[in-house]
Amino acid sequence: MLKKLTMFLLVFALVFTLNTGVMAQDEVTEIQLLIGKPEIAEQLEAMVEAFNNENDDIELELIPLAGQNAYQRFTSMYASGNAPTLINMGSEINEFSDRLLDLSEMEIADYLVEDTEYNYQDKIIGLPLTVEAFGLIYNKDVITDVFGDDYDLSQINTRSELEDVFTEIEAAGVNAITVSPMDWSLGAHLTNIMFAAQSESTEERHEFLEAMDNGEVKLSENKVFNGWLKTFDLLAEYNAHQSSPLSPTYDDAVLELANGEAAFWFMGNWALPQLKEANAETEYGFLSYPISNNPADYGNNEISVGVPSYWVVDESQSTKAEQEAAKEFLNWLITSETGQDYYINEFNFIPAFNNFEISPQDNLSKSIMSYMEQGNTLEWMNNYYPSGYFPDMGAALQKYLSGYADQEQFTQEFMNVWSK
Amino acid sequence: MYNDKTFLEKFKSFSTFALIPLLVFFAVVGLPFIFGLLMTFTDWTGFGQTINFTGLQNYRVAFDDPEFWNSLRLTFKYVIYSVIITNLLAFSLALIVTSKIKAKNFFRAGFFTPNLIGGVILGFIWQFVFSRILVHAGEFMQIPFLTESWLVDPNRAFWALVIVGVWKNSGYMMLIYIAGLMGLPKSVMEAAAIDGAGGLQKLLKIKLPLMIPSFTISLFLTLQRSFMVFDINISLTNGGPFKMTELITLHIYNDAFLSQNFGSGQAKAFILFVIVAVIAVSQVSIMKKMEVEA
Repeated sequence: MLKKLTMFLLVFALVFTLNTGVMAQDEVTEIQLLIGKPEIAEQLEAMVEAFNNENDDIELELIPLAGQNAYQRFTSMYASGNAPTLINMGSEINEFSDRLLDLSEMEIADYLVEDTEYNYQDKIIGLPLTVEAFGLIYNKDVITDVFGDDYDLSQINTRSELEDVFTEIEAAGVNAITVSPMDWSLGAHLTNIMFAAQSESTEERHEFLEAMDNGEVKLSENKVFNGWLKTFDLLAEYNAHQSSPLSPTYDDAVLELANGEAAFWFMGNWALPQLKEANAETEYGFLSYPISNNPADYGNNEISVGVPSYWVVDESQSTKAEQEAAKEFLNWLITSETGQDYYINEFNFIPAFNNFEISPQDNLSKSIMSYMEQGNTLEWMNNYYPSGYFPDMGAALQKYLSGYADQEQFTQEFMNVWSK
Repeated sequence: MYNDKTFLEKFKSFSTFALIPLLVFFAVVGLPFIFGLLMTFTDWTGFGQTINFTGLQNYRVAFDDPEFWNSLRLTFKYVIYSVIITNLLAFSLALIVTSKIKAKNFFRAGFFTPNLIGGVILGFIWQFVFSRILVHAGEFMQIPFLTESWLVDPNRAFWALVIVGVWKNSGYMMLIYIAGLMGLPKSVMEAAAIDGAGGLQKLLKIKLPLMIPSFTISLFLTLQRSFMVFDINISLTNGGPFKMTELITLHIYNDAFLSQNFGSGQAKAFILFVIVAVIAVSQVSIMKKMEVEA
């Protein structure tokens, strides 16, 4: 009898200790952040720690992505009823619009630069993460070494001039360009140049996308497509990894560009934190990807600038306390000193908010801002690609780059991605 | 337990041991299976707001998709190579380890360890080996077929997948064969030796027939593991180069979560289930008939 009693008391005590953990957590709201930006993963961790130190009643947790892309991750989290409260969503924000919190009442919504937020039924449901741009990044030191201090690279706006630049760089013993074969780089960003340069009017560009979807476009007869593909051939010809174009990784190109082994890299300014890590001294700038030999053509003087993704707060699967905590975090990031420091200096973002007291100082961001001021920007049509298209376009470009498919097969496959 | 006569008594003894695991199995495996099957007949996206009954539409989409059949063909090719090589390797290793060499336990542990490493980590390690280590070794020692990373050519990437899969599974199958070999009755071996059977005859005529139960288990496991391989696939090649090494489970995953076609993805998963179930069950029943008594 006594034995039974002691056993019972022991079990009861153990079960009781399990509950104490739960009781202590009631005062701290736990929220999770899912963001698909592996290039600033370390800096994000540091920022999360700084935020948690400054705010005792909120515990922010960063969800790690093990090689998945964020889209697959939060889709499965939503499906399991376990959605994170704070998400960084890209073009898929359209499908989730009815589950997201209205952020129009927030103080920081007043500081927004025009047209950078995501609207749905008169509500602001997405705050812009940053302004990003992609194009041909060049290593300023290599250019100055080869061409001298007075040379202004931004005057280059035709393919033949670019070829001359490449030849001179090669003659000086430096690889002209390193081409990264990742399917998102080729399939989403490189293709954007082709789609965005189709027309100066945003309506006509969207009509082109629709026509592609209906199989009404014959790409082989499209002037912009042919010019774009010719420039791609030029890049492939001067590619530092010509012998095995599919082997280089993102990190290979970062090291090559940062250390002056290659002069150009088709990529975006999100790579800046890693470029700085590889070599803190190098300066960079942006050059537009030319699509023809006529300097007045739309697309030859522009780089693609857009908002890649938005901060959203989930409403459908989060409690009120969690939503408030998420808004607290966004306020902290955009208005507090520590938040702004991380935003500008650690992530190298370009703010789409007017209240920032510091502005980016590096040459790459300044280059983007100068293109923006002159209005020389291409819209990010890749935000409007239907889901699942960019990996297939990327695969087609990879086949073409490695010589596995010729120009005709590539064009056919490219059209099939849209029309099937 | 052995004196139970009424149904209630039998049910009570059954429940004391098996009821809770059965409930867990039903909740974790049975219910999602049933829900998934029901989902294939609707157009529900998993968290959409509307559910409409659409009949066999999802299956029609799945059957019409050429990528599905390509991926299935590739997976069959992978399964055939993987099953044959794994079992040959595992059986040979088991024979070696149960013979009279020293350090038997060391070899057993050593060969089994790859199986303990999780599939994703394994894929990343081997990706590093294939694209960096082997390339450097190839350049250093001037071996032509190593100088380019195996993962950028569709054929060699396929063999890379086979190699990593075999490396992972042979250790586990080796243990099954070791257990089978050690369970062979010594009296039969002695009788064969007295009758003048040599080593090879003993192997072929006596050991192999008596080992058929082990073969049944091992073949079943390798078939199931090779058909359902996902973690190695996604971390080693992620379907690349240009989607040429996308095995069937990765294809279904991408279809559902990347292209957002949940209906057709689930339908494809069902078709895969039916195929694997038919193959596995027929394999086991055929081999059960081949078993011999000592």
